[in-house]
Amino acid sequence: MRVGAFEAFGLVVRRELCLSFRRPDQLLQPLVFFLIVTTLFPLGLSLQLSLLRDMAPGVLWVAALLSSLLSLDSLFKSDADDGTLEQLALCGQGLTVIVVAKTFAHWLVTGAALVLVSPVVGTALGIPGAAFATMLLSLGLGTLTLSWLGAIGAGLTVGLKRGNVLLSLIVLPLAMPLLIFGAGATDRAISGTSAVGALYFLAALCVFTCTLAPFAATVALRITLE
Amino acid sequence: MGAGGNQIVSTDFWSMGGYARFVWPCFAFAGVVLGWNLWSARRYYAAARLRAERALEAAMAAGEEA
Amino acid sequence: MWTWFYKLASPPYVYAAAAALAPWFLGLAAITVGYGLVDGLVYAPPDYQQGDAFRIIYVHAPSAWLSLFAYTSMALAGAIALVWRIKMGHAVAAASAPIGASFTVLALVTGSLWGRPMWGTYWAWDPRLTSELILLFLYVGVMSLRSAFEDPSRGDRAAALLGIVGLVNVPIIHYSVTWWNSLHQGATVAKLGKPPMPGSMLWPLLSMLLGFMLFYGAVLCMRLRGEVLNRERQAKWVREAIKS
Repeated sequence: MRVGAFEAFGLVVRRELCLSFRRPDQLLQPLVFFLIVTTLFPLGLSLQLSLLRDMAPGVLWVAALLSSLLSLDSLFKSDADDGTLEQLALCGQGLTVIVVAKTFAHWLVTGAALVLVSPVVGTALGIPGAAFATMLLSLGLGTLTLSWLGAIGAGLTVGLKRGNVLLSLIVLPLAMPLLIFGAGATDRAISGTSAVGALYFLAALCVFTCTLAPFAATVALRITLE
Repeated sequence: MGAGGNQIVSTDFWSMGGYARFVWPCFAFAGVVLGWNLWSARRYYAAARLRAERALEAAMAAGEEA
Repeated sequence: MWTWFYKLASPPYVYAAAAALAPWFLGLAAITVGYGLVDGLVYAPPDYQQGDAFRIIYVHAPSAWLSLFAYTSMALAGAIALVWRIKMGHAVAAASAPIGASFTVLALVTGSLWGRPMWGTYWAWDPRLTSELILLFLYVGVMSLRSAFEDPSRGDRAAALLGIVGLVNVPIIHYSVTWWNSLHQGATVAKLGKPPMPGSMLWPLLSMLLGFMLFYGAVLCMRLRGEVLNRERQAKWVREAIKS
């Protein structure tokens, strides 16, 4: 039975979501990690909200990057280990559709969830409510871009036994522009100036990465799995 | 640097207008990096050649036994 | 039509050509670097603002330029190898990476030593130095990825892909770092090389630049020979080349 590209995409996304909701602990761990890291900073730096507010964008974004990276390691791993990925690739739609679907589903359960939790963290760090819209938008765009960059890294390290550290080593330098614009946008929103420029930049990076990264990630998987 | 005039010029040169402790380490480190590149490239080639020679010897020994 | 290209990229040809070219590159590099050193350190006049500290430019700028050049050639060689399945491209990329990384370190160290008298601190988060630092991370990523695989050809292809992804990111990183800097602090950093340079300062710089490129060529050839031997150890031509 042949399946259309969109149908295959929908089926894989549904499968991924189903799998992650069956294992809620894996769904919650990155979020709890995100909360824990953001708790570390006030304890280590200062408990004064006024001081924290200056650091908040950076803290928020660094924690978001780290917790998204934490879960990226498993993006292709279990499916590559038990051969599911090869079977999916044989469904007639090519590997790219599978990669797109898996990465999108991964972003839904980690990135989007992180965006939903971020107002709580933002309040704790003293970010004013007026800046929430920019913060949410920038985090949404940023985590989606990061998921794509991470898909390339996860594809390259999927065959390795201890690829986790290497994955961070590969992906974090590529993610530095995201941190700059994401934290920059949030910073501007907090100080009340227009963050539109930084948001446009983030959006441009997001579109650019979403267009090219699927192909790079597919090539990466081909290299490591074939 | 025997003559007195030359002496002044040469101490002037080495002091680099007061920036000696920044300028000279830069050039010294550049020397180290250039030297390291040459050394490691030679060593890399020598190791590769040794490995290839070992492989050749092993192949020839196997050929003689057969 | 493409046969000459494949002949050019065949391992025995590369091995012999690298051996023939290396001494020429090295000799020319010695001449140009020697001229640049003498002219730059002795005859070039001190800068009217920075005094003699500006002479650091004679190692800093060529090494920064070379770090980018080596990364670009590494990524392009990897891309050629990946697309046209030319094995020697991977050998060039593998030989290029450690050279480029070492010159990135040199650019960082000299930049920071230059920063001390100019900015009053060894490390200011100057956009150029910061993107140089990120470039070093990219190099480290590519090199560790290549060595992480047990199967060398898989490591080669993985490193080639990462090199291309990094090459696409280099300009993005550079411009975002520049943008971020302008957001956080004014242009307090000394504008180096911004006013047009008089010839007496420029010629030794160009000579050093050329000399560093030639040196890169020489070391690349030397390393390349090792890479070719490692990859072709079992080939017949290697055995004949070694026997003689």
